[in-house]
Amino acid sequence: MRLVLLVMALCWATLAAAQQGPLRIEITEGVVEPLTFAVPTFEPESPAAAELATQVTRVVAADLSGTGLFREIPATSFIAQRTRFASPVRFPDWRAINAQAMVTGAVNVDGSGRVTVKFRVYDIFSGTELGQGQQLTGTAAGWRRMAHKVADQVYSRITGETPYFDSRVVFVSESGPKGNRRQRIGIMDYDGANIQFLTDDRSIVLNPRFSPTGDRILYTSYETGFPQIFVLDVASVGRRSLDTGDGSMGFAPRFAPNGQTAVYSLEQGGNTDLYTISLANGSRTRLTSAPSIETAPSFSPDGRQIVFESDRSGTQQLYVMAASGGEARRISFGEGRYSTPVWSPRGDLIAFTKQTKGRFAIGVMRVDGSEERLLSASPLDEGPTWSPNGRVIMFTRETLGENGAPSIYSVDITGRNLRRLDRAGTASDPAWGPLQP
Amino acid sequence: MTVGGYISTAGHVGLIGYLLFGPGFAAEPLPMEEVQQVSVISEAEFAALLLPAPEPVATPVALAPAAPEPAPTPEPEPAPTPAAEPEPTPQAPEALSEPAPAPEAPSEPVPEPEPESPAEPAAAPPAPDPEPSGEPTIPLTPTAPAPIPEPITDAPPAPSPAPRVAPEPVATPEPDVEIAEEVTEAATPVEDAELVEEAEVDTAPEAATTQSVTEAEIATPSGAMTSSLRPRPRPPGLALSTPAPTATAAAPAEPTPANPTAADPTPADPTPDPSPAPQNDADDVANALAEALAGAASAPAPSGPPLTGGERDALRVAVSRCWNVGSLSTEALGTTVVVGVEMARDGTPLTNTIRLIGFENGPEAAAAQAFAAARRAIIRCGVSGFDLPAEKYDQWKEIEMTFNPEQMRIR
Repeated sequence: MRLVLLVMALCWATLAAAQQGPLRIEITEGVVEPLTFAVPTFEPESPAAAELATQVTRVVAADLSGTGLFREIPATSFIAQRTRFASPVRFPDWRAINAQAMVTGAVNVDGSGRVTVKFRVYDIFSGTELGQGQQLTGTAAGWRRMAHKVADQVYSRITGETPYFDSRVVFVSESGPKGNRRQRIGIMDYDGANIQFLTDDRSIVLNPRFSPTGDRILYTSYETGFPQIFVLDVASVGRRSLDTGDGSMGFAPRFAPNGQTAVYSLEQGGNTDLYTISLANGSRTRLTSAPSIETAPSFSPDGRQIVFESDRSGTQQLYVMAASGGEARRISFGEGRYSTPVWSPRGDLIAFTKQTKGRFAIGVMRVDGSEERLLSASPLDEGPTWSPNGRVIMFTRETLGENGAPSIYSVDITGRNLRRLDRAGTASDPAWGPLQP
Repeated sequence: MTVGGYISTAGHVGLIGYLLFGPGFAAEPLPMEEVQQVSVISEAEFAALLLPAPEPVATPVALAPAAPEPAPTPEPEPAPTPAAEPEPTPQAPEALSEPAPAPEAPSEPVPEPEPESPAEPAAAPPAPDPEPSGEPTIPLTPTAPAPIPEPITDAPPAPSPAPRVAPEPVATPEPDVEIAEEVTEAATPVEDAELVEEAEVDTAPEAATTQSVTEAEIATPSGAMTSSLRPRPRPPGLALSTPAPTATAAAPAEPTPANPTAADPTPADPTPDPSPAPQNDADDVANALAEALAGAASAPAPSGPPLTGGERDALRVAVSRCWNVGSLSTEALGTTVVVGVEMARDGTPLTNTIRLIGFENGPEAAAAQAFAAARRAIIRCGVSGFDLPAEKYDQWKEIEMTFNPEQMRIR
């Protein structure tokens, strides 16, 4: 009886306390939709900067809209038609058109041709500036990079994510009819602009991969008739082949996070195993020695583990082992075949290609194989690569038929915002590089 | 759990353990050998039987050798590569159809210097990769030991030339019959046997899916994001574990009033009573009631009737309509924030009073992003005033909203 009285007393006290103070509610539902933003054309501070200001503004807006996380409000909806960079922002005018964020900027070109870009980011509904205004200075040739830098800052300040706009992608550019494709290694901005070619189209090239600092590229070439791995310096376009062993065929190379070692597959006598090779002295270390085919290795961001594909169980599946080799544990157990695993820069996910029931898909799973999610599906999707911040995945999608051709697509890790990278044209095998300094 | 509960649990566990393992540990009685009729022979006859036994009757049966451990394949690794060619000065390939790229870089591209300092791989010391040059050691391939027949110390009487001794004699089978421990009778067709068909039960595989529906399958015309389905609301009883300041302030640690029994000035018995429990229980109840009453009276309760469940839900829905988490980082999507706001009588939030009270499950930077999204939600959807009963203004003039994105995270 006394216990009951005690419990009643405590309940009474709790209820009494709950009725005091502010009203408390908990919100667990929300919406997932693009955040609306406005980017009035950056103010040209000199006549020579008029066209450049428009171009920078468009690139910034395209970067933000291209993420799928933002939606630009067209300039025709603006109430305040002109916003000078130095003048205060009339927040009610922007709230009236439901703009949640705004970017203002100014561009100047001085007598020596140097370009200066200034910008500020505002949270319209709170009436505050997000961060502080910044100023970038560069050459006229580098205006796109400056625009990407501005978009990176806006993206990072609003979402809290690390950015990825000022980055490059290396890929295989393809031309010619389907039966006689000519391939060459190309490099471009993440959005497909500024395409440049690093090799000629006289031989088949595969699997270009950026170094962690973006200054070198590993790729596989068939110019000698069998696969051979080359390391190419991006700035000088100079290259050298890696000595993967006499009478052997090396392919599927990828840099280690330290940039000094590469892991690759080596075919020898009909058996394919994984090796690492020092890029400084060429010393090799064998990681696997199984009668099955082990290939497509990818390091974890900390360099301690390697994920790869193997058919040791009868079908292609994903395995994880220590970077020094040893016993591997299988992490893929779903239906179908898994291939081309790539570890996320965040270290929490592994992207892969999955083939099941005649269709291909790009998916992600936790590093222990749990929480598998497929992000795309088509007759032929393959070869995922992560953006520097681990938020977006690029991959190759090839259409079937006589006129079928590969293209580069990107998708958010939520499975939304699937986009084709039109500027890259007929291209395949993208590999995303790091964020540029 | 009470003491009785513990005893009951231990007893049940012991009983179950005995039932599971007890009989298993008991040695099973050995099978009884069948009793056979024997004939008694003399010692001379026995010796005579032994003499003509020139060889053992039990010839060793060659067992299938155990699967040999796969010998480690000798590394065909060639000798260590000769001294690595010095880092060559890269040569530009001839016949490049495109000029060498000149990666433009603004001289001062970033006002904020990136902390990353890319290591120059060429100048870095060579990684101490263990060269497997010493590996070509030829692994020892163990030769299979020849089976050693066990010496027969006592030759049994040989009633028949069969190679095996068994409790029951077995006739020598046909030479092409496989020897096995269990006899398998040859199947013979029975002509007048009745064919019994098994009843078929309709079955179906368990429902499952291997693919999630993504944009690629939905084939949306544009890549723009669409609003997601709203997850089921969390039961309102669950609250953020982060204590709100007001809540802690409303429950002061009031000192317990003096125990009336301690203050009882009747020192008739100087030795303390070893069992004063009933009196203390009654005091505890009285103290708890007193504290509850004191706590309720200490803070001024809002006047008027409280908001109904429907009114609270209406406010919750109104705010959630503008709580857009689509642009939040994954870290911010894991951060729960508690936001306080004061309200005007017309139901509009006083924007300058919106403040972050607390957060959990995320770093401060993520909490700032989550707070910004919550603030936008309050302002956007409250711009024309929330639908709140004016007569209960005292109840909602100050609101604490917990934004819990647990069900909105990227899956």
